[in-house]
Amino acid sequence: MADDETTDTAAEDAALDAALAAEHAAVWGYGVVGAALPPGERAAAAAAEDDHRAVRDQLVLLLGERGAEPAMPEAGYALPFPVLSPVDAAALAVVLEEGVAAAWVRVLDRAAERPARALAMEVLGATEVRAVGWRGAAGQPTVTSAFPGLPER
Amino acid sequence: MPPTLPLAPRAFSRRTLLAVSAAGLAVAAAGCTSAPPVDERDTVTSAQADELAAQVAVQATLVEAYERAFEADPALAATAGDLGTQARAQLDRLRAAAPGSSPSATAPPETPPPGEGQAWLRAQVAVAAASHAAAALGQSGGRAALLGSIAAGLRGHDARLA
Repeated sequence: MADDETTDTAAEDAALDAALAAEHAAVWGYGVVGAALPPGERAAAAAAEDDHRAVRDQLVLLLGERGAEPAMPEAGYALPFPVLSPVDAAALAVVLEEGVAAAWVRVLDRAAERPARALAMEVLGATEVRAVGWRGAAGQPTVTSAFPGLPER
Repeated sequence: MPPTLPLAPRAFSRRTLLAVSAAGLAVAAAGCTSAPPVDERDTVTSAQADELAAQVAVQATLVEAYERAFEADPALAATAGDLGTQARAQLDRLRAAAPGSSPSATAPPETPPPGEGQAWLRAQVAVAAASHAAAALGQSGGRAALLGSIAAGLRGHDARLA
């Protein structure tokens, strides 16, 4: 029984650590998004970056309290496509938010405790709301997702 | 070579996805020893099964609300018809995750007031999103992931309808 609980906690910690890695990537990526937007249109990117930074910090604290070693940010990240215009920037923001959503849905899947699920729900909802805005800005035909963070069937 | 964004799990394990299927749950319920091992997070208690069935009813009610709103406001149907399609897809997936349950929708509390279909629909979406989000906290494994994802998707609907 104790072994099961240890395994469950380890799985939850691993999922939270993966979410932390996604949040690190989002914080970095929003720097690129903001840089590709005109100065007057950077507020949403700055707000999103702040939100992801706050979640990142919360995760670092949480994992540290559990005695886990929190994931560190990578020295750099490869962009999935060139970001040369505001539309590219919005498309990158969509990629970032969808990556974060996948990580947090994974937390829901692996969580052993209710507080982890509550945190995941809070972050996941905010992530999808931001993604809706960015999909629109990127000119994507469908701005909502039926299943954020889950693979399509 | 630096990692490519985004840094996130690529996909769920096949086991996890299967665990929310009717077959997976049926095997678990039968205690079939020849079946693959089922993750404890994906075993379902009777309370969790009941709650998941209740969420099917919540989603069915939302699908009904979309239909009523679109019937009352064809312009809204033209601009937001994809949301209704997504709500139905969510219902289908919830039903697949809740084998044996066939709860019917409870009627939305009212019909959309003339000229206020969008605001009325938005309120219905918010109610369903909050319900799924609360229910996700009491579930585990693939069921928690599915309910959480649907709740987030409906938050997106709410934002789109704002």
